[in-house]
Amino acid sequence: MNMQTSGRTTIKLFGLILMILFAACEKEYYVYDINDVDITPLNSYKDKPKTHSQYISILYANMFQTAIGPNQMLQALKAIESIGDKQVAYDILVSKYMNDPNVKLPSNESMRSDPEGFIRDTYKRFLVRQPTEAELQWMINYIESRPSLTTELVYFSFATSNEHAHY
Amino acid sequence: MKRRSFIKNSTLASAGTISMPYILPSGIMGMTTTPPLSEYVVFVLFAGGVRQQEAVLQRYLAEGQNENVEGNIMYNMLAGAPPDDKIAYGQDDTVNNIIGGIPIDPILQTPLDQIGTLFPEVRFSKGGAGHFSGLSTGVSGNYSTTQGLKSRPAAPTIFEYLRRHAGFKATDCWFVGVGITGSRPLLNYSANEAYGRMYGGNFIAPTVTFGSPGMQHFMNFKNYHPDTEWNKILEMREFLNQNFRNEGLEISHLYNDLEEEDSIKEFVKKTFEKVNSGSLTLPPVNDNGDLKTIGYAVELLNWFKPKLTVVDMSNIDVCHGNYTAYLKNLHRGDHGVGFLWREIQRIPEMAGKTTLIVMPEHGRDLEPNPIMDDNDWFAYDHSGNNENTRRIFSLMAGPNIDAGLRVGGVNNPIGDASDIVPTIAELFGIKDTVINKGLLDPSSRSLFDRI
Repeated sequence: MNMQTSGRTTIKLFGLILMILFAACEKEYYVYDINDVDITPLNSYKDKPKTHSQYISILYANMFQTAIGPNQMLQALKAIESIGDKQVAYDILVSKYMNDPNVKLPSNESMRSDPEGFIRDTYKRFLVRQPTEAELQWMINYIESRPSLTTELVYFSFATSNEHAHY
Repeated sequence: MKRRSFIKNSTLASAGTISMPYILPSGIMGMTTTPPLSEYVVFVLFAGGVRQQEAVLQRYLAEGQNENVEGNIMYNMLAGAPPDDKIAYGQDDTVNNIIGGIPIDPILQTPLDQIGTLFPEVRFSKGGAGHFSGLSTGVSGNYSTTQGLKSRPAAPTIFEYLRRHAGFKATDCWFVGVGITGSRPLLNYSANEAYGRMYGGNFIAPTVTFGSPGMQHFMNFKNYHPDTEWNKILEMREFLNQNFRNEGLEISHLYNDLEEEDSIKEFVKKTFEKVNSGSLTLPPVNDNGDLKTIGYAVELLNWFKPKLTVVDMSNIDVCHGNYTAYLKNLHRGDHGVGFLWREIQRIPEMAGKTTLIVMPEHGRDLEPNPIMDDNDWFAYDHSGNNENTRRIFSLMAGPNIDAGLRVGGVNNPIGDASDIVPTIAELFGIKDTVINKGLLDPSSRSLFDRI
């Protein structure tokens, strides 16, 4: 009788040990994950329009490498406000500045000799950022495929672009 | 056209809308479109706060300065004999040293109230009688009773209605402002979300564009060759703009197409040439900003032939401090309107096809302020709660408008300052569409419906 009881106890104990052993050997699963990231364009933070004063002062500094005087600023501001379509007004203003002998433009030769450098400088000057690789390639192709393109035309398009009017 | 026949025709036209929608020249058709009554409209917001007493009532000094001299100093717009004494509203008589002593010769042989219909007693019925409020009511058909300066009209302007519902282009619609003060540059489109900039009219303040500011920053702007230069700018700009497509973040243009943009630039360039060569088409007398603005407006009419042009004048507002100068500028305002009508008839496309509407943006006080001028005449303000500031008039002349008709009178006011928008809408065949939008003041009605 005692032998039987002792045998049952041994079996139970053995079973328990097996259960513990199997439980200890259970395979662990690891889930590797990444956090969601919103991919946005480089310029997406620019969501505020520049005031006409801001636009004029930045434009003037970019075109003439000097700050606009207060009286000139006031007159320029009035001129801009006198025309309802601001794209037209900005086009005329930039055209006027391009006709000024004091406008500071890089030479066409420097653009041709180092288009990438010119593009990077122009993005930095007007849009305060580096171009994306796609933008860089498009611009290089554009410059290289159009021998008559001048730095003036490039500057004009940057100065009157929507991104240049926002910050 | 006699009144009876006009009413008959109007009724027939109204009946026609029920059974036969009209296809507007723009190609737009709807159950609420009707045949246009006019091809062009010029609306003059006249001219800085006008007292009825010196205007349609022709009382000259009799009610303003307690001097027994009456007469009409607006003889291009109104029939009536001019004053025969104390002439102070004309050009200065330097020989005899009399300020304003030489009246300006009339331009029109027949005054406009004899060519068209006059509503001599109209009401600016709500809100404060301020300039922006008056101008805003004129172009939106609604009173900006809770609106301050530096904000666009809350209700859509007539420009937006016409661009959206009649298919007008941006350069079909112009607001020619006497300046850029008083939030005038905000009157070409509203803050209404269903309309707004997409349907805005063009704005120009020519005395600024072609004055000192424009001469410094616009004049002699560079012309780019369209094929070898400008198209490259457009291509690059389009590429840059494609990479900056944040919703609504663009330079606030007015949806002029490229051709229209070029046309505006060319107009600016040509007008500068005329300024420099002294060949602008100005009124015979052009010694104030209003008359110069009218001259530029004529240049604009000649260039664009806009469907709707709104012109604003303001020199009469000198009445706050100088009554004699007020009389002179009132006389000049009339001179400008007469000149404008004459020049419209000299533009082949617009002659005989243009409706001219004239309405003051508000009136002026009945009682003077204490300021006296060199003639010892008292000045007048335009104050809140002064009933005289609510008294204005409306005048319209052109095709399909009765000649020599007066509607209402001193004891029978007919018309409201908010009437001009539905009137212009009716002239262009979209009155019902505009009314059905429900954005006009409840008291607003087409002047044709008030006859």
